[in-house]
Amino acid sequence: MRTASLIVLIAVALPFLLGPFWAYQLGLYALYAAAAVGVGLCWGQAGFLPLGQALFFGLGAYLSGLTFIAFADLPIVAVLAMPIFAVVSALLAYAIGVLVFRRRGESGPYFSMITLALSLLAFQIATSWNSVTGGFNGLKGIPGLPGLNDFSDVYYVSAGVLLIVLAIAGWLYTAPIGVLWRALAQNERRVQLFGFDTNQLKAAAFGLSGLMAGIGGVIYAPQQGIVTPQVVGFGLSADLVIWTAVGGRGNLLGPVIGTLLVGSLTAQLRDTLPFWEVLMAVFFIAIVLVFPKGIAGLADPLARFLKSRRKQPAVAAPKRLSSDLPARLVLNGVGVRAGEFTILDRLSLEFEPTGIFCVIGPNGAGKTSMFNAVSGELATVTGSIDLGGTPVSGLTPHRVTRLGVARKLQIPSVFQHLSIADNLAIALWSGRANKLQLLDPRLRRWTTPMLEDLQTRYPFLASAERKAGELSHGEQQILELAMALLTEPRVLLLDEPCAGLSPEETTAVIGIVRWAAVRLGGAIIVIEHDMSLVKELAEVVYVLHNGTLLAKGSVGAIQADAAVRAVYVGGEK
Amino acid sequence: MDPLIVTQAINLIYAVSTLAVLALGLAVIFGLLGVLNIAHGEFIMIGAYCAYVTQSGRWPYLAAVPLTLIVCGILGWAVEWIMIRPLYRRPFDTLVATWGLSLLLRKIAEAIFGLGFYSVNIPVPGTVHFLDTEYPIYRLLLIAVSLLIVIGLVIWYGGSRTGSRIRAMVSNPELAQAQGISVRRLAAGTFIVGTCLAGLGGVMLAPLIPVQPFMGLDYVLRAFFVLIVGGLGSVSGLLSGAAVIGGVDSIISATSSATDGYFAVLVLSILFLWLRPRGIVAHS
Repeated sequence: MRTASLIVLIAVALPFLLGPFWAYQLGLYALYAAAAVGVGLCWGQAGFLPLGQALFFGLGAYLSGLTFIAFADLPIVAVLAMPIFAVVSALLAYAIGVLVFRRRGESGPYFSMITLALSLLAFQIATSWNSVTGGFNGLKGIPGLPGLNDFSDVYYVSAGVLLIVLAIAGWLYTAPIGVLWRALAQNERRVQLFGFDTNQLKAAAFGLSGLMAGIGGVIYAPQQGIVTPQVVGFGLSADLVIWTAVGGRGNLLGPVIGTLLVGSLTAQLRDTLPFWEVLMAVFFIAIVLVFPKGIAGLADPLARFLKSRRKQPAVAAPKRLSSDLPARLVLNGVGVRAGEFTILDRLSLEFEPTGIFCVIGPNGAGKTSMFNAVSGELATVTGSIDLGGTPVSGLTPHRVTRLGVARKLQIPSVFQHLSIADNLAIALWSGRANKLQLLDPRLRRWTTPMLEDLQTRYPFLASAERKAGELSHGEQQILELAMALLTEPRVLLLDEPCAGLSPEETTAVIGIVRWAAVRLGGAIIVIEHDMSLVKELAEVVYVLHNGTLLAKGSVGAIQADAAVRAVYVGGEK
Repeated sequence: MDPLIVTQAINLIYAVSTLAVLALGLAVIFGLLGVLNIAHGEFIMIGAYCAYVTQSGRWPYLAAVPLTLIVCGILGWAVEWIMIRPLYRRPFDTLVATWGLSLLLRKIAEAIFGLGFYSVNIPVPGTVHFLDTEYPIYRLLLIAVSLLIVIGLVIWYGGSRTGSRIRAMVSNPELAQAQGISVRRLAAGTFIVGTCLAGLGGVMLAPLIPVQPFMGLDYVLRAFFVLIVGGLGSVSGLLSGAAVIGGVDSIISATSSATDGYFAVLVLSILFLWLRPRGIVAHS
């Protein structure tokens, strides 16, 4: 709150301090800054870089300019239409996001290149569609906003709009959706495995950034009185990225600082200092390579000082949205292939609804692939998988998770740059929060009896502000295990939970798995190499070999099995 | 045969073969090193400016070739050393960094040469009579040189020792290093080859297009679309991508407008990303 009032105070005072000329200049740059906040949202939060953001700024500007010209006698119509045009920009951005992000996997560079191309296309359309856009010379003589008298009025409109955009962004950054954006920028797969549709989250981020650019654009037209193809083109798109980077992309205010500072400096120095823009480009590269936090990074200590330290009370989380009754996991003739290789060869097995089950087998037997097939990450070519009668095969990973299948990966993959509290909160939202609730910051204070128990058992889980990346390897394993448990799954898949752990940490993990089995009452399926652990944990052991089930039974029966011995010739422990 | 159809057909071949050469450097760097060099287009621009400098110095046109190779080679070496090497296997950061580089090179060109357009004279003027039509000799030459460059590079990559070392590096850098191959030097060399190829493309095209600082943007996007549509890692992919992109663009631009052609190429590329993300010629 303190920060917010400080910003408003500065915004109100600026025209008195700087005079009308600068007030007018800042009025223009405040609109660009609104668009830059959107770039910061995409790049600094969700981790993808839009290179053609001017498209949405320009679209808003053209639509608004045309309407102000058409309704010159009745400007109120144009004023009322402005929000609609900003929403049009948002919808276009969202649609592009949905289209491009639908491609699975690493979409980063592709997305950036396509937005760059779209911005060039928009420039071509704006230049060549003379009858509507006025061609190269643009729309001229756009009437101003009604009721504004001087430069400082113009400034206050822009500054007000920028503050609204900042308020929206600030709220989003503290809401669960902001946490999820930062999480998926680090590890998109993990966010999917917690049951969130990351493509939709990214498209939403892009749509919101389009909204912010559109808001800037619709004001730009009546403010400047002219709209030329430059506002949709590559140049402004590039400037927005530079300003965002220099100011600090990960910070709410960074893009604003960058735009106001670099933008107005550029306007002053471009003509007097011929190499100014070359210098800015060098500066940009240096920031990307060595100082990603930008100028706002210098103010980190101040930000920490201003941050309120009041701890707010926890809120009890609701129950899971889908059923949490134990269910039988059945794989029926499941085949998975990668090119020429058969990874799972018509694998058929079932797991009882409750209990601890171990899956063993030599390297390459298909253990992790079986997990990947269950969690929806590997496409099955034959057979079916179902959970308590609900078909699972063919679903995307986030849908499988929502049915109550949680997973702990072999390599610890907690969200390193997020706090422990946020890591745990993501797990709590999984399967419990609906889409709208992701906008509610109170969700960050959710807790469950299980979380409280875990925090009593492992006090480090309660040190909320610490970054997960600061934890030791063993603590990260336990944090990830805790996150998987907090989703209160019906089936928990653990892939070598004790890999790389010391004997004490191994004992801790065994304890937590046993405790969880009782507490969850569901099925826990563990891939494990270490037979001593298998002996301690397993009620039933499944042996995989060459993608099929070789044997199933109690630990004793498996150890006596001749076929199993033949596979493990040379005797693993 | 209708002379107009013949001309259009050769135009199509010309568009496709030059596009293949323009995409070649990007394909080498993206396909082998996994680095998407957005500044690719600016290396094409540098090649074109080298051609212009050669002409204003009244040197023979072919002198532009060594000049470009030197400029793009040194630049490529420095860029790889300063900003690509620290970022290998961080594709997103290289994307941002090379985007910054493209901005830098553009601004440098702007500071030296200004925003204006320059034109370069066609070194081999005149036309040949060909199936009832007149066709510019220089364009025919370009088709031949483009094909020679692509075929030459393929033979070298497939047959030479360096080629097999590069293949080793691509499939397993650690193992290649353990075998005594200097992966660092090899990667730098590959990057330089990519930038030099872009520069050569610029020299070849300079007489046919206006030379200006922003020319590279359009080429890097087209080259990128060629790779999306064709798929990475094979010559047949490169050629089929160039055929589709170049073909669609020239046919729609000729029958409708350049904007429509560009729009069609963009939509096509998005469709490919969506439906066939590995391109026409999928390569594991």
